[in-house]
Amino acid sequence: MTIGPEWVVLDTNIWIFGLRHQPEQPACAQVLQHLPQLHVKVPRQVLLELQANLRHEEMREFFRLLHRNMGHTDLRWEQVELARIRTYQRRGCKLGDAAVAAHLEVLGIGTLVSENRDFLYEIMGLPFRVLRAVDFLRELGGVE
Amino acid sequence: MSLHLDELATQIATLDPAEQDALWEKVAALNFQRGLEALAQKYRTRLAAEGTLDQTADTVMAELKKLREEIAADDYRT
Repeated sequence: MTIGPEWVVLDTNIWIFGLRHQPEQPACAQVLQHLPQLHVKVPRQVLLELQANLRHEEMREFFRLLHRNMGHTDLRWEQVELARIRTYQRRGCKLGDAAVAAHLEVLGIGTLVSENRDFLYEIMGLPFRVLRAVDFLRELGGVE
Repeated sequence: MSLHLDELATQIATLDPAEQDALWEKVAALNFQRGLEALAQKYRTRLAAEGTLDQTADTVMAELKKLREEIAADDYRT
């Protein structure tokens, strides 16, 4: 039996803090530097949010980079069933977080890396674990 | 430059296939990291020009949360 790589999802805040080099969140930029060693899926909600933050030219450069990292990055543009999103809303997620959570469930993702306190501390019973960037980096110690 | 590249290629050709694969992976990773840094620099320059680069992490996070709700409401409106 072959066990494939473990795919993870980086929440929008990790991408944005990482690109901004946010001084209070240095671990986010470090996570992005590890992308060639990771397997990262980018769900629709995160893609749309990145599109809203980056200019057209910046987004094109972003896609070009991810394309170069092919095999390690998977862009998922498909929508998620509304019924599945509602399930997460009933558990206390806001609509946007529910869309992310539902997509992770569909994709079978085991780890979300996020600095979003709602994901980290407020919502119980998620089918994936949520790690802050600094904790994810600690785990990556063995990646290289 | 061409001579230098020839020498480099000759050296690389002496490596066994596994070492060559590892080398290409390292080159690809370095290229990716450089590209990412260039994109980050471009983004930061634009934010600085717009006067938003100095926003605190809490402010950025609050805007991201607001944006998340707006986008999801539009994407999944029934």
